Amino acid sequence: MGSFKLGGMTFGSLFKKPETLLYPVQTKEPYACQKGHVLNNVEECILCGMCQRVCPCNCIVVDKKIRRWVIDPFSCVQCGSCVRACPTKCLSMQPQCTPAGDAKYSIDLDVPDKKAAKQEQA
Amino acid sequence: MGKATVIPFGPQHPVLPEPLHLDLVVEDETVVDCIPQIGFVHRGLEKLVETRDYNQFIYVAERICGICAMGHSLGYAETVESLMNVEVPKRAQYLRVIWHELSRIHSHLLWLGLAADAFGFESMFMHCWRLRERVLDIFEKTTGGRVILSVVSVGGVVRDMDSATLQWICEVLDGIKDEYSKIMKTLLTDYSIKNRTVGVGFISKEEAVNLSIVGPFARASNVNYDARLFGRGAYGDLSDFQPILDAQGDCYARVKVRCLEVLQSIDIIKELSAKIPEGDIAVKVKGNPEAGAQASNVLEQPRGECYYYARGNGSKYLERMRMRTPTSQNLAGMTVALKGCDLADVNMIILTIDPCISCTER
Amino acid sequence: MEFKQSFEELAAQDVHAEAQRRKDSGWRYVQILAVNLDNGVDVIYSYMLDGNLQNLVVKDMPRDGQLESIGDIFLESFVCENEIHDLFGISFTGMPIDFHGKFYRLSCDKPMTIISPEQLARREKEAKAKAVAAAKKEKDAQNASDADMEAKLAAMDPEKAAKVRAAMEAKRAKAAQKEAE
Repeated sequence: MGSFKLGGMTFGSLFKKPETLLYPVQTKEPYACQKGHVLNNVEECILCGMCQRVCPCNCIVVDKKIRRWVIDPFSCVQCGSCVRACPTKCLSMQPQCTPAGDAKYSIDLDVPDKKAAKQEQA
Repeated sequence: MGKATVIPFGPQHPVLPEPLHLDLVVEDETVVDCIPQIGFVHRGLEKLVETRDYNQFIYVAERICGICAMGHSLGYAETVESLMNVEVPKRAQYLRVIWHELSRIHSHLLWLGLAADAFGFESMFMHCWRLRERVLDIFEKTTGGRVILSVVSVGGVVRDMDSATLQWICEVLDGIKDEYSKIMKTLLTDYSIKNRTVGVGFISKEEAVNLSIVGPFARASNVNYDARLFGRGAYGDLSDFQPILDAQGDCYARVKVRCLEVLQSIDIIKELSAKIPEGDIAVKVKGNPEAGAQASNVLEQPRGECYYYARGNGSKYLERMRMRTPTSQNLAGMTVALKGCDLADVNMIILTIDPCISCTER
Repeated sequence: MEFKQSFEELAAQDVHAEAQRRKDSGWRYVQILAVNLDNGVDVIYSYMLDGNLQNLVVKDMPRDGQLESIGDIFLESFVCENEIHDLFGISFTGMPIDFHGKFYRLSCDKPMTIISPEQLARREKEAKAKAVAAAKKEKDAQNASDADMEAKLAAMDPEKAAKVRAAMEAKRAKAAQKEAE
């Protein structure tokens, strides 16, 4: 018999659970190390600008004067080089993917000045 | 003999995943000549080396092609390492090869699915891609990306795998092997597939050598050349590596060589994950490539040998980076294989050569 | 088989003869590439035999230079030759498959020979840094030689030393005058 060689496998699939997910209803739990988006814990950030320097797509802009850290999530390629370069480990790669958007935006974060705050308190 | 007619084939064609245009000169039903044309997706990525430093360019190199992403980042990193005389730790070399071989499995399974779809064997297409999904799942769990892995850096790799993960990879591969053997048996013994492929698009060994064909295309014509044979990196530690050859030189032989290479890659990964030494996964690379220093390198990608060239200029930017991909080498072989075939066989021949156009144009 | 790589020079007029020689002795064509440098364009031909990868460099081709195509010996070189013609402006005579500059659809002529503004800025910065370093080195050398001379003069008898000092002073003044002009 030349035909139906793959029949066993195809027939068996009738009784197995499906290999695919019904996407919008079900979503896959991301693995812990997955590259979803970059998160900055501004409390720890020292605005050194290392992330801006290593970024291959120039999507991070650090402005020390106005103490602002800006990332353009639409040009970020999730390579993770900023996370590896960060000296205070305030940057982290989160496994969750960002949802699709209907307009482009950038994430502007104001970094609190701990030193100035301390001086004020004193 | 009938009148010669020119039939344009592509750039948009159901069997072609990428834009390749062919002018087929046809007499009756027979192709007598063919002129390939590419150039629809040239992006100038080689020029980008001037504005991205050598550590950043690795992410550009990866994006040359979606299927060969791991291969390109690996080839680029090896070339820059040889330019700067960097010795990569043994463990990093093993991990690189494991990921590279996984990407070979994923590339060949993708190709097999597309080829099956081109025969009209659509359930096979689904089975192949279902198995490929498991390889992508391994990538997702170990590197964090499905296709663009961003896991190689100049001087090593950026992620490590513990022994439990390696064990898990071997188990998944065992599962793939089981089902894959069934698929392969069907593919290689099926009457209608043999009908479409045996004796079609024949390339003799002499022609293959003369046209400098590389990769599975050449190995199907009994050319014993595989860049893995040089035994660099972790390939040197394999107990026995022999490229898979076939003497037939037709489409069937090319399907067979690729089918068997998947099993070979599974064996390589299992052997290396059993042997992997402990140690660092990267060395710190200091300084810049010297001005005028040059390095060239070849790497066996899923589609064949890929050539890399790098030249430094003393700064952290490279002066020139160049990749010559396997498809650019195989295009001439494709025109020769197409000569004298039936018009209906053209898509079969092109698919079994597995051209990757976005690699070729960069 | 072991992998070896080497770079050798090749004269522009020998390109075709060399290709024929390589083919006859069983070498495999690997690739052709071009590098845009200050003095012109370097074209590199690569051949391989048993893991020995040789890169033959044709140095300093003029920017609109011409080479003989090796397409009649290695048909597969047509991809690289057309590419170099479109991206670098080096033309090849006698290509078997010639696209006459229509191989890639490009928005400008010879894109790979254009020096980008970033590259230019970088080069200027480097040249400046180099000039500063060179000036510093010269100054150091000058100081060193002065110190050397002093040591020598101290060893000489005082009358002779005074004479030499006066001569050096005069020489320096002359040099300064010349520089001022």
